[in-house]
Amino acid sequence: MTKKSDGANEDQVKEPKRNIVPSKSQKEAKEMKSSKEEEDLLLDSGTDSDYDGDSLSGSLNSDDFDSDIFDSEDDDDSHRETQDDEGSDEVVDSENGEEEDGSDDEGSEQREVAEESDSSEDEVTPRNTVGDVPLEWYKDEKHIGYDITGKKITKKEKQDKLDSFLATMDDSKNWRKVYDEYNDEEVELTKEESKLIRRMLKGEAPHADFDPYAPYVDWFKWDDAIHPLSSAPEPKRRFIPSKWEAKKVVKLVRAIRKGLIKFDKPEEEPNVYLLWGDDSASDQKSKHLTYIPPPKLKLPGHEESYNPSLEYIPSEEEKASYELMYEEDRPKFIPKRFTSLRSIPAYENALKESFDRCLDLYLCPRVRKKRINIDPESLKPKLPSRKDLRPYPNSCYLEYKGHTGPVTSISTELSGQWIASGSTDGSVRIWEVETGRCLKVWQFDEAVKCVAWNPLPDFPILAVAMGVDLFFLNTELGTDEEQQRIEELLRLDNLPELDEAAAAIAKWLPDEKYRGIKIRHFKNLSYIDWHPRGDYLSAVMPGGETRGVVIHQLSAHSTKMLPIKMRGLPVCTLFHPNHRGIFIIATKKYVRVYNLHKNGEPIKKLETGLREISSMAIHPGGDNLVVGSKEGKMCWFDMDLSSKPYKILKNHPKDITNVGFHRSYPLFASCSEDSTAYVFHGKVYSDLNENPLIVPLEILRGHSSKGGVLDCKFHPRQPWLFTAGGDSVIKLYCH
Amino acid sequence: LEAIMDGGGEDASKVIHVKFVTKLDSPFQAPSSSVVIPSNVTRLGLSSIVNSLLTLEKHEAFDFLIDGELIRMSLEQFLLAKGISAERTLEIEYIRAVAPRKEEKPSLHDDWVSAVDGSSSRFILTGCYDGLGRIWSSPESCTHILEGHSGAISSIAFVSSEGAENVTVATAAKDRTLRLFKVDTAESGDPTTRVGAYKILRGHKASVASVAAQKYGSKICSGSWDCTINLWDTDEATSELSVAGKRRKGNNQAEETQLEGEAENTFVGHTQCVSSVVWPEHDVIYSCSWDHSIRRWDVPTGKESMNLFCGKALNTVDVGGEGSALVAAGGSDPILRVWDPRKPGTSAPVFQFASHASWISACKWHKSSWFHLVSASYDGKIMLCDLRTAWPLSVIDTHKDKVLCADWWKGDSVVSGGADSNLRISSGISIS
Repeated sequence: MTKKSDGANEDQVKEPKRNIVPSKSQKEAKEMKSSKEEEDLLLDSGTDSDYDGDSLSGSLNSDDFDSDIFDSEDDDDSHRETQDDEGSDEVVDSENGEEEDGSDDEGSEQREVAEESDSSEDEVTPRNTVGDVPLEWYKDEKHIGYDITGKKITKKEKQDKLDSFLATMDDSKNWRKVYDEYNDEEVELTKEESKLIRRMLKGEAPHADFDPYAPYVDWFKWDDAIHPLSSAPEPKRRFIPSKWEAKKVVKLVRAIRKGLIKFDKPEEEPNVYLLWGDDSASDQKSKHLTYIPPPKLKLPGHEESYNPSLEYIPSEEEKASYELMYEEDRPKFIPKRFTSLRSIPAYENALKESFDRCLDLYLCPRVRKKRINIDPESLKPKLPSRKDLRPYPNSCYLEYKGHTGPVTSISTELSGQWIASGSTDGSVRIWEVETGRCLKVWQFDEAVKCVAWNPLPDFPILAVAMGVDLFFLNTELGTDEEQQRIEELLRLDNLPELDEAAAAIAKWLPDEKYRGIKIRHFKNLSYIDWHPRGDYLSAVMPGGETRGVVIHQLSAHSTKMLPIKMRGLPVCTLFHPNHRGIFIIATKKYVRVYNLHKNGEPIKKLETGLREISSMAIHPGGDNLVVGSKEGKMCWFDMDLSSKPYKILKNHPKDITNVGFHRSYPLFASCSEDSTAYVFHGKVYSDLNENPLIVPLEILRGHSSKGGVLDCKFHPRQPWLFTAGGDSVIKLYCH
Repeated sequence: LEAIMDGGGEDASKVIHVKFVTKLDSPFQAPSSSVVIPSNVTRLGLSSIVNSLLTLEKHEAFDFLIDGELIRMSLEQFLLAKGISAERTLEIEYIRAVAPRKEEKPSLHDDWVSAVDGSSSRFILTGCYDGLGRIWSSPESCTHILEGHSGAISSIAFVSSEGAENVTVATAAKDRTLRLFKVDTAESGDPTTRVGAYKILRGHKASVASVAAQKYGSKICSGSWDCTINLWDTDEATSELSVAGKRRKGNNQAEETQLEGEAENTFVGHTQCVSSVVWPEHDVIYSCSWDHSIRRWDVPTGKESMNLFCGKALNTVDVGGEGSALVAAGGSDPILRVWDPRKPGTSAPVFQFASHASWISACKWHKSSWFHLVSASYDGKIMLCDLRTAWPLSVIDTHKDKVLCADWWKGDSVVSGGADSNLRISSGISIS
């Protein structure tokens, strides 16, 4: 334990060695020295080193352990013992070494070879198990040793010297072959092994990948010193055991001996405890899943007195309000006042409670009520704020007044300078958008059903449908050349012969009064729609049943029947904005898409699930369709996605009269007989994976409640909406 | 004054020492001594105080400025809002209140009055939806009728005057043409003389929305619904088609002298209808459009030199104010906005007047004042605005229907025309 004793150990260790092995080679002695130094380090490294020393000796006495700490007198003796043990160990070691030396003497070359073969055949255990014995012991025997199972390994027959010589001369690899005396066999050295040997013979490092001239890595920190390690002597404090610790230990030992410090105290019994069982018991119960802890009873207060003060007594209104409450929300106890104890009646719920008690005894199941408590705000879909989706129409600044009957239809001119409107009073008007001035009036006898501007900017013709007639009117808004072309087109000089079926449906007539064209149909018209190229116009006659949709060609003055077998009553039609041949027909329940270029081949059938379709509009991109219905529902179809609606919007309490998309802004609108129009943000992404974004933006009110809003159209270039009201006013809502 | 002083004297702690100063001439010069007034007086109270200080025979309305801002609330609130100390003697400048003192009789037209021009002090030009331009020397006396258009006139502009009497007038109409008229205003307008155009300018493919003339020059520019701005020459001699052009049927006796002209230059850039053009300097044209932008064009090169984005479709633009650099514009919402293009790095308006209730149809800067604007709106009101306060100075509510056009006349009157087919003149506006 102390430095002194360590020093003594060293001396004792060194002594016996010198005595026992006086004739040791220099090398051996060096090895011994180094092993001793290691031991020194071990002993030095701390107080624990003692136990290391003990473990070397192999026996650890528990008595020694106890006394080690407390008895300093016995300490030295035990150490001496351990050191002695160590010494004997060394002796055994050195004896082994001597024997090895002996075998070395026999033939250093052979040994070298054996070692080499060992290294190459590490995994193959040597067949001969005789061990490291002189082989001359087996010189006269027929076997050279024993294998692992204990059987004799017989010697091979010796070859004739001459034969063997000849064999060696024939074999070019002979120089590689080495005779293994131990296992009695010839071993052929591999290339690597021979290289290894060659390198060793040259005095080089045996392995080629060992670099003797590797760059020097300086592991030390120099810190401005000349030498990497400090040669300053170890401070003295490292060698001196702590005096204070020793004193403290002695103090503790004395205290324990005197009995001042006691290690195991007897546990005290608590003298206060819960009389009716404790809460810790309920913890165990609560591990059970269905265990419901009983509620803590509230202690009775003043209100439960037979004669509580007046402020506890509920008023008549409060009592009446209790009656209106649900039974579970009603207060369990209503304070009452009695003038004396005598007048207190029997408990009113006695019978009921005893019945409930019986139910409990029968183990009738009690239902655990679950109340769902969800914040209604969290159920709303996350939509972008309206402010970020500007511009959109929101306030009405301009009104177009002049009609005397409900305005049934409006249509915007492409440049946005004019709008046309038709009314039940039989007039068709053109308005200047900017000022609200009525520019032109055509008066007819019948109520106008539908008006539509030709979609070509340089071809200002208005198509008007009323009753059974369809008129093409010259608005006289174009330049002189345009005007000339229109006049030529509207002159019916040589009518082409229509086939019989078409002639039965529509008849082209000149209209003298307004110098236009009149087409008389066999049934009442309800809807017209221009092809985006401005030459074809589809007309819908719901009464025409299977012949309910026809297409007129203005340039040829001809009418064509659809090569489609119609099913159901047509409501409205649409030409696809981008694909010329695609034609969409809405009947009361379904929307069907046809390809007119392929002889009316049906492409798609959209199932709306609505009771009655009233209107439809197509997104300018052409893939999305909005359908309005008479029950106030609106369906958004993504035609690429599915034949079912992508979204159904139910906003209007009454019939939707019309729906419409904006040509360039991501807006769409619906108007209804409830005198409102709704504006929505409807953005379609070019990325097909992204669903369209639909956000309701604004409810446009302003039309008087009678008659509703009959039509709505977006301004072609501004984010403005025109609405045509049953109150014979057209309103313009601006952003 | 005594009464006001007594009324204010109830709360003696709330008094302010003020000094009234003015740039007005002698009858309106108040004594420069400081006066103690109660702090809760409003503009009306201040006005009567000054009136009593001046001892004028006729009561005069004044407006008051503190640090270049018009007072539009009680003095106490104003000082609190602006963080001005009430301890020291306050200097209050007073000016004559800007409000029309007289309403002239309306001049009835046959149809809506869509354009008015008051740039000449001797007469007023009006354009009407019946396709006729009119020259009014005074209210109710129309001296000349400018005829020839087959569509409603949308804009009218005074081009130049040769000598004192001969003037040139340009009209733009929805029949896609512009017409130039030479009028001898010395002729007595009794009965009304009818004048035909000496030159027809064709070239626009859609309705012409606005016309503006170069100052001291012979050129005019026009904005149209075909999204272009065309530049025209008004000279008789330099017309390319001086050989009487194509004669049209239905033209009356003026036919022989009619010339036709083509556009000298076309500025393309706007994507929607060019609703208004102004030509404030020799080489600069400003235009506004329904494509939500205000653009400045360099005339010799025809290049766009500025583009202000507004966010609303614009109906009218005018340039004026401080250094003739502020741009005022109004359009499809009730807010009149004023931009300062000299301000770098921002396109936000520097002033906004939001007192109107509907679209703004016209706005004009006062020719000599840096602060005054007149604006007309479809809500039937004309407002006189001052950059020094957000509230309108006065509201002229004489029109029965939409006001379609308005302009200053003679520096002290506002002329306006509207959908009630009347030209109305509100005069006696004192802008110093």
